[in-house]
Amino acid sequence: MSTTSIADRMGRAKRGVGVSGTGRQGGRRRNKSLRAKTWTYIIFTAPALILLLLINLYPVIYAAFQSLRNGTLIDGGDFVGFTNYVNTLVAGNMTPAFWQAALFTLIFTLVGVFGSWAVGLVLALLLRTRIPARGLFKVLLLLPWIVPVVVSAFSWNWLVATPQSPFPMLAQALGLGNVLFLADPTLAKVTVCVFKVWISFPFMMMMMSSALAAVDNNVYEAAKVDGAGSWQVFREITLPLISRSTYISWILMTIFCVNDFPTIFLLTGGGPVGSTTSLVVLAYRTVFQDFQVGPGVAIAFMTTVVLIVVSVVLYRQIRKASIE
Amino acid sequence: MNGNSSINTKFSRRGFLGLAGAAASIPLLAACSGGSGGGGGNKPIKFWNMPWGNTAFNPLDQKITEAYKPANGLPSAAYQEIQWANFTQTFSSAVASNTGPAVSSGGGTQAFQFESQGAIAYADNLLNSWKNNGLYNDFLPGLLDAMKVPKGYAAVPYNLDMRVLWYSKPLLDQAGAKVPTDWQSYLDACAALKKIGVYGYGTAAGAGAFTGGHILVSWMINNGGGLFDEKQQPNCVTQENIDAMNFVLELVSKGYIDPASPTYTSANAQAQWKAKKYGMGFDTAGLAQNVGGDALNDLAVASPLTSPNGKKGALFFPNNIMMYKNTPSQEGSEAFLTYYYQNMTPLWTQATGIGLPPLKSITQTKEFQANANNVKVINEWQPIAKTWAAPGGTALFLGVTTVDGTPAMDTFTQSILGGKTDAKSALTTLQNSIKANLKS
Repeated sequence: MSTTSIADRMGRAKRGVGVSGTGRQGGRRRNKSLRAKTWTYIIFTAPALILLLLINLYPVIYAAFQSLRNGTLIDGGDFVGFTNYVNTLVAGNMTPAFWQAALFTLIFTLVGVFGSWAVGLVLALLLRTRIPARGLFKVLLLLPWIVPVVVSAFSWNWLVATPQSPFPMLAQALGLGNVLFLADPTLAKVTVCVFKVWISFPFMMMMMSSALAAVDNNVYEAAKVDGAGSWQVFREITLPLISRSTYISWILMTIFCVNDFPTIFLLTGGGPVGSTTSLVVLAYRTVFQDFQVGPGVAIAFMTTVVLIVVSVVLYRQIRKASIE
Repeated sequence: MNGNSSINTKFSRRGFLGLAGAAASIPLLAACSGGSGGGGGNKPIKFWNMPWGNTAFNPLDQKITEAYKPANGLPSAAYQEIQWANFTQTFSSAVASNTGPAVSSGGGTQAFQFESQGAIAYADNLLNSWKNNGLYNDFLPGLLDAMKVPKGYAAVPYNLDMRVLWYSKPLLDQAGAKVPTDWQSYLDACAALKKIGVYGYGTAAGAGAFTGGHILVSWMINNGGGLFDEKQQPNCVTQENIDAMNFVLELVSKGYIDPASPTYTSANAQAQWKAKKYGMGFDTAGLAQNVGGDALNDLAVASPLTSPNGKKGALFFPNNIMMYKNTPSQEGSEAFLTYYYQNMTPLWTQATGIGLPPLKSITQTKEFQANANNVKVINEWQPIAKTWAAPGGTALFLGVTTVDGTPAMDTFTQSILGGKTDAKSALTTLQNSIKANLKS
């Protein structure tokens, strides 16, 4: 079909302008073909993109509008601007409950993240040593993470709720009197936080185990040769070398803790007297028990914003750790 | 050739986009075409019912529903069980999209919420028609009044959820106490039970357990008080309520209430009954069956207490069945409900675990009469029981959703049962919370 000779085409190939047709014409055709390909890609990916937008973005936008209205679950309500945010944050009936929940969320998250990380790291380090039945221990230690939280919450309720439960009986035997693990507001906070650490440490243990496995043993051997002690090795070598995984696990666990609804709701329902109500539980109760969709969604939105900020800060730490 | 090819490419691209747009528009157009509306035709009456009892309830209920043979021209009935999990969303989204039921049960205050949105078909015509077939006069006293809103009857009473005083016969005997009849004898019985290490006021107000709050309101109603006035506005800080809450705080301070009960689940409270740590307490009419074992013989329902004001009263929840405007045929909805109420007796006689019946005829069956506790509840508690609307009125209304299982009521209950407040402060906080929720 082509009118050009083989010699011409060879010459063109050497010059890098293609083997058929004119160079300029070929470039135009390539551009055209590229445009066609781009359109094809767009057309073929469009359904998936539209679906993703509908599933992910539409609910968020819809919820944002809901937070600016005073509707209920069965009525859209009227547009009220930022009243729900103002009433929640500074000058409304929700304000004390919101700040109480924010404080508990902060405590719950700090204990949840660093408590589970500390326990997980210690266990991950222990599992690196030569202990008998290490595989069995690993499986057993994973159980709190594997077991559905409904079952765990029921078990913990059985452990601590009534005076005939094992922990209160143990406290009684130790002469501590009738310890109200869930009915006393302070102890309820402690119990919920400990429960969170208990169900979360296996995740941290896995993260830290994989991070530790990636550390080159030669580094430890070199440190030993240099006369470094165990604490020095841990502080100067182990922690810096697993810092990237540590920050990632902190980000994930922060998200898990702030968004954790079942752990709290199943164990205490947010009580007593709101002492263990987190922001997520407060948002749920405001929407589904008080039927105030606007303020409830506003709480959820503000929680999300805080979560994004925290995640960005931690993510920057990851980049920093990677660069170092 | 090139030219043709170019045209073809453009055409096919546009064609493709056009086709894609058309394909995408089909579900959108379908979504915009509306729901069942009121067109009638051959669409069945959608009846959505909740799991009111044990596993035997819904299969039997479905059987009754599907046995419905409509008169000529009227639609048949289709049954759907709706789980309690997220039921508010299930109903609200279905009603909003016109894909909901024509007839349903649901939450006790659901009919009043939908009534305020104009989604409910009033039951006045239906109830008028029941005056001729005996059903109207078959309802237990006061039940129909609880369904009446200014524009008509929002729903029809279905099953009753009562809060009654239970006592353990062996534990009272062991303590040498008598079954209480008034507040003072209740205190005396509690004191006697405490001596044998048993609590006299068994209750639960923890995760998902709203009974604790219900009982506090019961004490208020028992003393002639309650939460709402005649204008359906919150009126919590009354002398009757303060006296009632002071009485409960006295029970707390004297150690007659389990200090862990503010965070007990229903299962925790039942475990305490089973462990014989609760000698008396307020709970649903099904407590003995729920606890099981020895409790079936040991536990008995006491008569309602008389308050220092000389009054009797308790809180109850008349669960109900409502009709929606979105129905293939309103006549069909009413015909189905007439059939259903005339044929629903087996739900109570075949031990399906549903709450107490709304019809006198069912309470007179030999199966119902065989349970002495249920008979006592119907004979002695139901006539004096009042709704959340007390003392201002009998009919439920939208505002009661601000107290039924809400955070405000939970906080109030846990603060009273925790004993770290005074009655007036707690009631004032509750009053303010209800007012704020009513405004928003």
